[in-house]
Amino acid sequence: MIKLKNLERSYPLAKEKFFYVLRDINLEVEEGDFVSIMGPSGAGKSTLLHILGMHDHGWRGEYFLGGTAVHHLKPKERATLRNEQIGFVFQQYHLLDDLTVYENLDIPLSYRHYKKSERAAMVADMLDRFQIVGKKDLYPSQLSGGQQQLVGVARAIIAEPKLLLADEPTGNLHSSQGEEIMELFCKLNEQGMTIVQVTHSEKNASYGKRVIQLRDGWIVKGE
Amino acid sequence: MSDFRYALRQLVKCPAFTAVAVLTLALGIGANTAVFGLINALLVRPLPYHDPSNLVLLWEQFPRQGLERIPVSVPEYIDFEKGLRSFTQIAAFNYSTFNLAGGNVPERISGAVVSPALFPMLGIEPIAGRTFAQEEQGEGHDDLIVISERLWKRRFNSDPSLIGKTLLLNGRNYIVIGIMPAKFEFPIPLFNLQGGQFAERVDIWKPVAFSQDELKSRGSRSYGVIARLRPNATSAKWQAEIDTTVANWVKAFPNNYSARNRFGAKIYPLHEQVVAGMRKGLFILIGAVAFVLLIACANLATMLLARASARERELAIRMALGAGTWRLLRQMLTESIALALAGGAASVLLSVWGLELLKRVGARTIPRLNEVTLDWTILLVTAVVAIGSGILFGLIPALASAKPVLTEALKEGGRGSTSGARPNRVRNMLVIAEIALALVLLVGAGLLMKSFARLQGVNPGFNASHVLTIELSLPQTKYPSGANPSYLGGDSTRNFYQETLRRIARLPGIEAVACTDILPLSGTNSDWSFSIEGREMNKNEPGPDEEIRVITPDYFRVLQTTLLKGRFFTEADNADAPPVAIVNEVLARKYFRGGDALGKRITLGDPRKPDAKWITIIGIIANVRHRALELEPQPEYYIPHAQFPMRDMILAVRSAQDPRSLTAGIRREIQSIDPDQPLANVRTFDRVVSESVAPRRLSVVLLGIFAAIALVLAAVGTYGVISYYVVQRTHEIGVRMALGAQRSDVLRLVVGHALKLVGIGTIIGVILAFLSTRLLSALLYNVGAFDVTTFVFVTISLATIALLASYIPALRATRADPVTALSHNA
Ligand SMILES: Nc1ncnc2c1ncn2[C@@H]1O[C@H](COP(=O)(O)OP(=O)(O)OP(=O)(O)O)[C@@H](O)[C@H]1O
Ligand SMILES: [Mg+2]
Repeated sequence: MIKLKNLERSYPLAKEKFFYVLRDINLEVEEGDFVSIMGPSGAGKSTLLHILGMHDHGWRGEYFLGGTAVHHLKPKERATLRNEQIGFVFQQYHLLDDLTVYENLDIPLSYRHYKKSERAAMVADMLDRFQIVGKKDLYPSQLSGGQQQLVGVARAIIAEPKLLLADEPTGNLHSSQGEEIMELFCKLNEQGMTIVQVTHSEKNASYGKRVIQLRDGWIVKGE
Repeated sequence: MSDFRYALRQLVKCPAFTAVAVLTLALGIGANTAVFGLINALLVRPLPYHDPSNLVLLWEQFPRQGLERIPVSVPEYIDFEKGLRSFTQIAAFNYSTFNLAGGNVPERISGAVVSPALFPMLGIEPIAGRTFAQEEQGEGHDDLIVISERLWKRRFNSDPSLIGKTLLLNGRNYIVIGIMPAKFEFPIPLFNLQGGQFAERVDIWKPVAFSQDELKSRGSRSYGVIARLRPNATSAKWQAEIDTTVANWVKAFPNNYSARNRFGAKIYPLHEQVVAGMRKGLFILIGAVAFVLLIACANLATMLLARASARERELAIRMALGAGTWRLLRQMLTESIALALAGGAASVLLSVWGLELLKRVGARTIPRLNEVTLDWTILLVTAVVAIGSGILFGLIPALASAKPVLTEALKEGGRGSTSGARPNRVRNMLVIAEIALALVLLVGAGLLMKSFARLQGVNPGFNASHVLTIELSLPQTKYPSGANPSYLGGDSTRNFYQETLRRIARLPGIEAVACTDILPLSGTNSDWSFSIEGREMNKNEPGPDEEIRVITPDYFRVLQTTLLKGRFFTEADNADAPPVAIVNEVLARKYFRGGDALGKRITLGDPRKPDAKWITIIGIIANVRHRALELEPQPEYYIPHAQFPMRDMILAVRSAQDPRSLTAGIRREIQSIDPDQPLANVRTFDRVVSESVAPRRLSVVLLGIFAAIALVLAAVGTYGVISYYVVQRTHEIGVRMALGAQRSDVLRLVVGHALKLVGIGTIIGVILAFLSTRLLSALLYNVGAFDVTTFVFVTISLATIALLASYIPALRATRADPVTALSHNA
């Protein structure tokens, strides 16, 4: 599913010096895998995830997604590929404050040119699946953290991606709420979705199939 | 004053913000300062006479014939002078020209004949010498003049010994007895003696000397009358007194005042007379600059709102530290007023420059424009306007954000500026208001421009290009009347003009040359009553009274006016030949059913007298627009100069080349006929036409400038608000992009928001414009106040520009980096 070869990411420092956040990353993730990325703060986990999610384009190296060479794609083609394949869950949920739960779920579909009737059906289906039908007209500020992240996950998978990327999805949640999300991830993984998550918690990592350790931009374990 | 010092520090800290704000305010306030300067000089500031509020002008009227504010005849004036008790002083005046001999070339100088009572009435003392004594008037006692300081400086090098010396004017000797100060101006152009509208400033005053003809002729009205009211006389009282005098005339002279004419006389306060014509235009200007200022304030309010939300945390912390709402409000208002005062100061510079420009454009067309200066009154008004607008644009954001919700603003490190739906609503409303106001101004300017363009396209009935016009005034002393009445010259006058035309026609490059007593669109006019042969004179109806011109044979060839029927005048239509006339189409239709006019006869005198001189109509010409391009042609009749030898004529010369190059040659020819004869007011006919629309051009230019400023400010305002919208939504846009939004989706989001604001703004603007353009209708020509093309064009242009202004921040939004957007306040 994912193959990274000699990937590196750096930020320019003063006077032609560079600060390397990721170095010589080589990584393969099979379809149906459930990978947890771990490591101390500042190790480059989020950076890696944003590269996988094609939010960040300032890297060098090779990145294959499902056989497509992402490093050869133009920005517009990358966006299309991303919209087809990837869903993203954020630690801070990043729900849009002025939109209702229903409307938040509708956003990804609106950017993927689904027909209106189709969209309505998909949103209804998702509300049903996550048992949040009763909350569809509420605004994010009227939900608890766990409920918000539930919506965040629902929004990430509503366009039926093959790959789900999650950056500390439970970082802002109580442990019981966290467990709920993790069980949801397991279920999605069983249904065939590939998942890459960043986490600090051993417990959360144990829901996954393997762990990759990052330290100072290097993969130290689990290549 | 720590608030103030803090405010200054804030302004210095953000120089870009301060520069944009000050410039915006300078435009908004400067437009107001300039217009207030105009109003102060033209409407508010008293006329430069002693106690001007009691001064009035007296005009007569024939309401049945649509004649208002017409001058007074000499016998009538003398009756007024003797009979009216409501006035402490009364004086007659008339325009006059003086040919001043000596120097290299003789020069024609504008002057006035005035009753000696005038100077004490106006209360202005000469800077040297004296003015006329009461007995220094009338034929034989009128060889004295008072001259202006301007002429004294220019022509006599301020020679103090000029007083008592003799000047040769119009071939006669006059003693200079006094010099009037530079500020003294009389008559003021707008006193408007029969269209003497654009008359030049007067430099010589001479006492009146009514001629025997004038003393006998009740119907020949040419004098203006100015008077000072008794302080306690009521308006009812003086009008009653005038009415009694007029009623006596109607009884005593039934031939001159037929009962059904409803002849009368009325007085007009001097100030009113001077400003009446300008008031409407100036009020439209005030409206326009008020709009500009409101737009500028709206802009400032949005800018301050953006800053206030950036400082929301600062305000919240201040509040948490114990600052009350009033304290915060005062802090913010101090800042906005400091800003406004800086803008006001800059606006003074801007308006000084603007008024200088205006004077250059409008000096010849707006009376008293040269008096416009920025005095303390204006500076005070500017300061008040600046502080007022500072409070206005400061209060809006201050009220919208002086009460931050503490818990929200201090929570989680202040989650940016997504709080405050209220400031956002205010911001949106401000942009909508800006766009609406700008639209109204643009529609107004658009309508005026279209009118102006339409007017330029009007066929005036003549071709003004390649024609040079020169005014000639022959003095009566040198060119006596002979057997003719005193307002006409005699054989010497005829010979002068015949010889002049003959010699100029021989000059190289001349296509045609002729003379007329009155040039179309020059602002002067003349009418004369006549009777038609065989038509019963109805005692109760006023007889025909139409506009009369005296011309030489080639006049219509110079003007290239079409002959519809009959023939032009020829050299053969001379003093000894049967009297003839040419009429225009309107006159022919009004009195003769068109073509029937040919061969019909009219007379200017009394038709019942056996020696009445009957004039045969021998030609009909196409109509000429005479009074103004926008006014329908009036009935006109033309008389050959040889049969009506006026002394003051205007030479009109058509040439193939630039007509101005002919001046030297023409001057040489005229001087070889009469070396003392000056050429006056030499200008191309094109310029005459262009000056006739100058006031309109001025209003187009001014309103155009204000509308352009409004457009720029509205565009800047839209840009600012949409930029802020983008900044505010960085996070949202980042999330949307992370969720799959493409550049086009982001563009649509931002421009869509702008479209909503612009759409509402233009709808409100169109409604406002519909309600307000009616005020303009008096200034429009051939364009409806609701002209659809103008409305559509202006609306689309404004919307396009506003959307373009929003496109720049929208583009910036598409370049947002989702990674930064999503992590910056993690
Ligand atoms: N725009 C940037 N410019 C320079 N350095 C950056 C930038 N963004 C991130 N970094 C640096 O890259 C490094 C990795 O950051 P990243 O967010 O990937 O860490 P992380 O492993 O996700 O940490 P955490 O567990 O705290 O979320 C950090 O040292 C960070 O300072
Ligand atoms: Mg991270």
